[in-house]
Amino acid sequence: MDHETHIVEVDDLRKSYGDLKAVDGISFSVSAGEVFGILGPNGAGKTTTVEILEGMRAQDSGSAIVNGIDVQEDPRAVKKIIGIQLQSSAFFDRLSLTEILDVMASLYHREIDARELLREVELDDRADALFKDLSGGQQQRFSVASTLVNDPILLFLDEPTTGLDPQARRHMWALVQRFKSEGRTVLLTTHYMEEAEELCDRVAIMDHGKIVAMDRPAALVDSLLNKGFKKKRTEKLANLEDVFLDITGRELRDE
Amino acid sequence: MFSRLLRTNPTISLTKASMRIWFRDRQAIFWTFFLPLVLISVFGLLDFGSFRTVDLGIVDRADNDASQKLIDEVRALGTFDISDDLSEEKEREALLDGDRNLLLIIEPGFGEAQSPAQRRVTVIYNEGEPQESAAGQTIIQHLLDEITFAEGNISERYTIDASPVDSRNLRFIDFLMPGVVAMSIMQMGLFSVAFSFLQLKSRGVLRRLQATPILPASFIFAQVFTRLTVSILQTLVLVGLAVLAFDVHLEGNLGFMLLLALLGGGVFVSMGFAVSGWAHTEDVAAPVANAIALPMMFLSGVFFPRDAMPEPLRAVADFLPLSYLADALRNVAVDGASLWSQWENVLGLTVWLAVTFFIAVRLFRWE
Repeated sequence: MDHETHIVEVDDLRKSYGDLKAVDGISFSVSAGEVFGILGPNGAGKTTTVEILEGMRAQDSGSAIVNGIDVQEDPRAVKKIIGIQLQSSAFFDRLSLTEILDVMASLYHREIDARELLREVELDDRADALFKDLSGGQQQRFSVASTLVNDPILLFLDEPTTGLDPQARRHMWALVQRFKSEGRTVLLTTHYMEEAEELCDRVAIMDHGKIVAMDRPAALVDSLLNKGFKKKRTEKLANLEDVFLDITGRELRDE
Repeated sequence: MFSRLLRTNPTISLTKASMRIWFRDRQAIFWTFFLPLVLISVFGLLDFGSFRTVDLGIVDRADNDASQKLIDEVRALGTFDISDDLSEEKEREALLDGDRNLLLIIEPGFGEAQSPAQRRVTVIYNEGEPQESAAGQTIIQHLLDEITFAEGNISERYTIDASPVDSRNLRFIDFLMPGVVAMSIMQMGLFSVAFSFLQLKSRGVLRRLQATPILPASFIFAQVFTRLTVSILQTLVLVGLAVLAFDVHLEGNLGFMLLLALLGGGVFVSMGFAVSGWAHTEDVAAPVANAIALPMMFLSGVFFPRDAMPEPLRAVADFLPLSYLADALRNVAVDGASLWSQWENVLGLTVWLAVTFFIAVRLFRWE
């Protein structure tokens, strides 16, 4: 992989909270246009890692470079070119969705077509609604739309499908794939392995603040099989989620 | 070009958003405008503090021509609210209940020669209302003198030529209005900032904003600008109501009052930020903000003059920011004072602004 095209470079990053080593000396890099997943159980250090890269938290030691900018040195410069979806997002009360997007865009000195952006996440019919009146899936989609106001080259999605129903999850997956086709780099965290398998070009598995494995999903599966691993029950060609989606359809269910 | 700047400048668009958010909040509008309006209306309609008529009870024990003549003379004055058809017992009861200022008892033998009561009446007065009681006594004394002079045919007396003039009489509503303006600016600044900021913090809105290249100064400017605009509007609305609906005479310059509203608004908005920085959550901020606002409401001469307070309390109360604001607003509104004549109050407010601003900056936390 060509060094020049690395959009994220992390070297020996460390962050402790008291005695807890949340991030314990990790190194990885993400290429431009890649969808990179950080997997791991709760408390593995995924969110802390992502927050350091976003310029929302300072590391104790090590370096984090985003698009050639040292995040710790100039977090504002990094924030200008990235889009961040937080695990739980909240927006101003008493402003409509379009009003919120217009304000968010102005924070980057930009002007956007808010309705067009809402159309991209299938929320154009709720343009005048308030954020708090949206369903869970709609809120998640709006939150993604809000990360696009500055046309970011790198998107951070922190557990983007947690709490969503299968239809909304598929919709989010389609969005991520579109971002990739638009040439954006996506760095996402997730608990769901089928999500990582479906979306990510490469994944890093974290546990206790360290990266314990990093490769393409298929390569990780192959290396496990090469160790002689066999599932107790052989996989059928369809699973219960396929049945559920076949019966209830793939249309978004928001209302 | 310019209109694009208006839409893409973060500070301008945050200010626009913050104004929209504020004016769409019905609860905030209620507390900020409606409640002070009700307060002014209630006191405007009740009109406390004006000099009331003197309630006089008469017990005629003499029941003769002379006593009847005296009663007629008293009645003819029109100064008193008179009751003379009740028994003595009932009248004394009414006096003790505070329904009378004076009880005039005309003893038997009044006006009859050789009677010990020829030139005597008894007056029992309500000590609790000294002004009305004293005025009543003076009037009765004057009447008795007139009768005496008439009997003695003394015609060359000193007289007063009294002529009326339309003076500026300070009513309670005149006193109250500037105080209520000051109080509502304090409430708005302190509570509106502390609560909305902590709410943005606890709900995670600030965190989402921090994920953007926002400058804290832009955000704070938007918040402060909105509140200062509201404090100007409060002053205009409350003064407007008092002048239009309750005939309050605005002696001073409205522009001076608006400048004072800005300065006072600045003090209490800083105080609101300081509380929100110190309190961390809304549950803590509520009692803290109340603990600051309530004592000031009663100690700063909003509802009654601080002269009525015991000396040690007054010494403290005089230095409260709400005292400076209420005094300056009142001096301008009621006495027509100029802004520079109020330099002591302005200086007091400025010192408070510096102190609260310093504390607010020290305690300010995004997270």
